[in-house]
Amino acid sequence: RRGVSFRLQALRVCSGRHPCAVCCPATMLNRVTRLVPRARQLDPGRFLHGGPQGPQGLAVHLDDRVPDETPRAGSRPSEDDPAGAGEQREDRHYRIPLQDLPTVFAHGLPQYQHYVCQVKTFHEACLLVRRPALELLRHLDGTNFAHPAVRYVLYGEKGTGKTLSLCHVIHFCAKRDWLVVHVPDAHLWVKSCRGLLRSAYNRQRFDQPVEASSWLKSFKTANERFLSQIKIQETYMWNKRESTEKGRPLGEVVEQGLTRVKNATDAVGIVLKELKSQSCSGAFRLLVAVDGVNALWGKTTLKREDKSLMAPEELALVHSLRKMVRNDWHGGAVVLALSQTGSLFTPRMAYLPQELLGKEGFDALDPFVPVLVSNYSPEEFERCIQYYLENSWLQHEKAHTEEGKKELLFLSDANPGQLERLCAYL
Amino acid sequence: MQCRTDLGLCVAFPPSPVTRSGTQKAAFVGSSWPAKMAAPAGKVARGWSVLALTLRTAVPRLPGLTQVRWSRYSPEYRDPQTDKEYYRKPLAELTEEEKCEQELRKTQLIKAAPAAKTSSVFEDPVISKFINMMMKGGNKVLARSLMTQTLEAVKRKQFEKYHAASAEEQATIERNPYTIFHQALKNCEPVIGLVPILRGGHFYQVPVPLPARRRRFLAMKWMLTECREKKHRRTLMPEKLSHELLEAFHNQGPVIKKKHDMHKMAEANRALAHYRWW
Repeated sequence: RRGVSFRLQALRVCSGRHPCAVCCPATMLNRVTRLVPRARQLDPGRFLHGGPQGPQGLAVHLDDRVPDETPRAGSRPSEDDPAGAGEQREDRHYRIPLQDLPTVFAHGLPQYQHYVCQVKTFHEACLLVRRPALELLRHLDGTNFAHPAVRYVLYGEKGTGKTLSLCHVIHFCAKRDWLVVHVPDAHLWVKSCRGLLRSAYNRQRFDQPVEASSWLKSFKTANERFLSQIKIQETYMWNKRESTEKGRPLGEVVEQGLTRVKNATDAVGIVLKELKSQSCSGAFRLLVAVDGVNALWGKTTLKREDKSLMAPEELALVHSLRKMVRNDWHGGAVVLALSQTGSLFTPRMAYLPQELLGKEGFDALDPFVPVLVSNYSPEEFERCIQYYLENSWLQHEKAHTEEGKKELLFLSDANPGQLERLCAYL
Repeated sequence: MQCRTDLGLCVAFPPSPVTRSGTQKAAFVGSSWPAKMAAPAGKVARGWSVLALTLRTAVPRLPGLTQVRWSRYSPEYRDPQTDKEYYRKPLAELTEEEKCEQELRKTQLIKAAPAAKTSSVFEDPVISKFINMMMKGGNKVLARSLMTQTLEAVKRKQFEKYHAASAEEQATIERNPYTIFHQALKNCEPVIGLVPILRGGHFYQVPVPLPARRRRFLAMKWMLTECREKKHRRTLMPEKLSHELLEAFHNQGPVIKKKHDMHKMAEANRALAHYRWW
């Protein structure tokens, strides 16, 4: 075990008058003793994404820390159980047992309908084990639960696999019996919501009964076994007649939220607060996984009664989630994924944390560990094509030839999302 | 009177002169498809001088016959060769003919390739033609995406059937959407067609053997008409089209029925077959 502590250097983009590094690659964390941000100096020599040395620079840095796995030749996807002794190797397809799907992914994957279709067609849920996810899993394995929760942010261009890497991490943690708080798409909470109510708890904020109750339902399915074990530490008065006493299991709060839809948002807030305060006790490990986290600090398209646009902090759900992703608790980890696809009022080509989170979001999440998810490497691309061929998904006779593979590489530019769309009709 | 269709000529009643602007004139009153089933590239010419140079040299002046379809290119223009394999053949493997052709290509004029023609290995002329027929208002992007979604839908449906079937049946289930598409259209092609021919002031539906491209066109046209008009308005095109293609692949469905109706009518009118003069 490496006992050296690191300081995170969080650099900012400057005034924007000249191109510069957006965010210096934060060094890999093993033990964080002091999270003291250095003085915000710009290092013009270090470009993270601006030049060709950028991503390789980060990759080289990773290699220094962790012994490199030699990619094995592709073979039939192995049913690697992350909790067991079998280690996950890079460039292998890792199959999630189908019976785990309803519990682990109780929320479904609203952002990624193509993967849901693929699972239905192949009758198996396979994920390619890739370097970003593998590194994340190794770090989660070695987390020190006495230290504040480390925040990992998955970012990358569209279609590179941030959501599926997040799913991989969630399944890994669920197998290890962590309590997973999974928000599949935070963008759905800031747009097209019907039935907004003024919150009873705080008149300034708004409740979202529909979204809150559907989230509570999936949370209940995913974490059934914890709901009876965890006891709440305060008494909560729902109204004059109903209340939940101290010492009752958390399941009762969830039930209250599900039966009385008006109190659903408050129930979500209570659940998150209780989990946060009790994770320090060590009874369970908490993983907070949010996809599309830039929605929490972006803009909304929801309107108040006087038809003016709301700010996200006026939504009670967003407020409680923001408190959850702070690092003022310990006993777990926070894994976040950015997403431009569902975001509001962000440019299409934006993918960097500074661009998507904005100043407010970056400040709130600072310091975090950025994890770049990029396009397939040649080995990964080859492995993906092999997987499709083994499942007879590529039916076109020319797709089996070298010419066809070269053309697929050219057309998709090794982007996982594009490759999947291309192979769907070939 | 014979109709030299390969030169883009037709019988004219009365012979209609080509105007200075070179616009196309329909030579027949109520012109039927035999007059129209002519020249491969029918484009409107612009420029009297081009006409004068190309037309006079290429086409012999026959009495009663008028050029109705024009091409921007003169006959010495050759079609573009987009096949990569053709260019990759090493010199030793080429026959004398091919060597001669390659020499000629260096100096001869070549037509511009259309925008939709690529050197991709996955390109299929039948699919391209179908996409063009599905296109509305020049929206090729939409038409192409509908086609790819249809192929995907066909593939997924076949995979569902494959997984649900037993081991013996799995060998018979075809999962390649391209084979299904080609076979379905082949099954929909009519063998014999009806043509309205004017005799004694009346139009008679005369059974006539159809050339290959007319049959392919009719198959595609019937498929698209069936999907566009006869289905519920809220269903999406990929869904409708995938369903129709799968039915036609198994020789069932409304398009096959239309083909059989056409055959039956031709059979019923076989007494009029002698009205055909070609």
